[in-house]
Amino acid sequence: MSATSRQQTGEAGPYLGTPPPSSSAAGRQRQPRRQRVLVSTRRREQVTTRLFILPLAIVFAALFAIPVARSLYFSFTNFGGYSTKVSFIGFANYTALFSNPTVLTGLSFTLVYAIGQALIVTVIAIPLAIALNRRFVGRNFVRAALFFPAVPSAVILGLVWTFILAPISMGVVNSVLGELFGVGPVPWLSTNLLARLSVIGVGVWSQVGWHAMLYLAYLQSIPTDYYDAADVDGASSMQRLFRITVPLLAPAMTVSIVLLVVFGLQVYALPLALTGGGPGYATYTMSQTIIQLGISNAQYGQGAALSILFLLMVALVLVVQVTILRRREARLR
Amino acid sequence: MRRRSWVNGLATSVVMISIACTVAFPFYYIIVNTFKTQQQTSESPLGLPTSLSLTNYKNVWDNIPVLQSFENTLRVTVLSVVFMLLLGSMAAYGIVMRKNRASRRIHIVLLLALAVPFQVTLIPIYQAFVKFHLVDSLNGLVLIYTGGAIFSYFLIQGYMQTIPLEIIEAARIDGCGTVRMYWRIVIPLIRPVLVTVGIFQTIWVWNDFLAPSVFIISPQNYTLVLQAYQSVGEYTTNWPAFMTLSVLSLIPITIFFLLMQRHIVSGLAAGAVKG
Repeated sequence: MSATSRQQTGEAGPYLGTPPPSSSAAGRQRQPRRQRVLVSTRRREQVTTRLFILPLAIVFAALFAIPVARSLYFSFTNFGGYSTKVSFIGFANYTALFSNPTVLTGLSFTLVYAIGQALIVTVIAIPLAIALNRRFVGRNFVRAALFFPAVPSAVILGLVWTFILAPISMGVVNSVLGELFGVGPVPWLSTNLLARLSVIGVGVWSQVGWHAMLYLAYLQSIPTDYYDAADVDGASSMQRLFRITVPLLAPAMTVSIVLLVVFGLQVYALPLALTGGGPGYATYTMSQTIIQLGISNAQYGQGAALSILFLLMVALVLVVQVTILRRREARLR
Repeated sequence: MRRRSWVNGLATSVVMISIACTVAFPFYYIIVNTFKTQQQTSESPLGLPTSLSLTNYKNVWDNIPVLQSFENTLRVTVLSVVFMLLLGSMAAYGIVMRKNRASRRIHIVLLLALAVPFQVTLIPIYQAFVKFHLVDSLNGLVLIYTGGAIFSYFLIQGYMQTIPLEIIEAARIDGCGTVRMYWRIVIPLIRPVLVTVGIFQTIWVWNDFLAPSVFIISPQNYTLVLQAYQSVGEYTTNWPAFMTLSVLSLIPITIFFLLMQRHIVSGLAAGAVKG
């Protein structure tokens, strides 16, 4: 944010980059010798700097621009599948997707997961961050323990939880429930509803600490003057929380929720490791469906159509975020 | 007043430490069970092991090429992160050096790439990889992860804008060339952001499952995460072995986390507040 605003105002200063063009344009006729030398080196520099940008431009073309264009193109053709001749078939791939129950289940679970975990993580992470901002014994241990589940791969976390939720005696949740309450083994991973809730629960567990740290970083940037002023005015602790802390956390909420939703839509490894997409297709994800259609079944057209829908969903989330941010900045001004 | 805040602190401590223990519990559970036999695990899944038996570790180490997978992952991660940082910092330097309309346009076009998840480009990239014989190749994986250079570029470019760089101007007046300026002056100056970006990209590449699960076929090319996932099928009946493999694959990233913890948290804070 700070970077772009500086660019827009064209602030001159001791920063890397050429000075504003006005200064060099002013005295083009009678340049001192030293300045002429500088101009010619600058021209040479411009050629070299172009070469510095080139590798990244190639990466952009090869791994982003061209593949996205090809996905878009495939999505309107019958490429792959049964025919060998490629021809345009309009929106047929898109309509086929919406009449395929597997695709629809994957789509609905992905949406439920993305929104569900985003809401639950937000509701838990904010109070956690507020508590972590206080002084207490063992704070460093608590921070490290809460953050740690964000470090290992989602596959490993999924595997770890399959042991814990297993229906046999080694599944510790069921054995504890059995001993304490005499409840029979709960099929955590083998009925549709419970499997979905378990995947969301493990997702929340693995991310809540990371997002609490994100909120904590914002909390620590709130000036203490605000709280001092509130104390002078005799504000209660509830008022301080809801009139100062929560409103000032709004930008953090935008960042955190967008990250949660965008990465939530891309969920793939966690349900695969935990439930294998089952029972049936209950925890099947969009990513899994794209791989199934576009790689395993060679239905490139439909796979590509689904990936374009996917891109549109992510774009929608980002557009909403930018709109909210703009509106908030306008209000602050 | 003082007495009350002391009590409050104690209450916070008790509540927060119990939450932390609950969150950390799954890791405790799998670690203690790697030292037990299958029978001991089913008798007391939660208790501490009675003896430090390393049978499970030996068993897994002998039967699964964990070391091979570790080497594969290390190679892919190191190469990918080096490329990401190199290409990202080069482009950031190039863009920041020439502030004009063209470079601003390039910047915005690159920004669009950040919105594109890998799932969207997966099918065309897979087809291209089949054509160029890059499927089931570790170099192919490195190529895919090099796409992370664009994200690195944004973080590095943002950092370059915030630090005063009079040295650059001085070096330029002294006749320092563009390439030497990049190596000798810019790279040392932006080291902090390279460390932060490098850490985050290392964790991403090391943990990634999507790309290896689609592009890697033969077991000798498995990454650690893929190895753990694929071997689970063989071990569904032998629970302690299954858990031991999970613990083994957790070790490297845990060590990395412990070594880099300070940078991870400060990097997160810096990235978050700048937004």
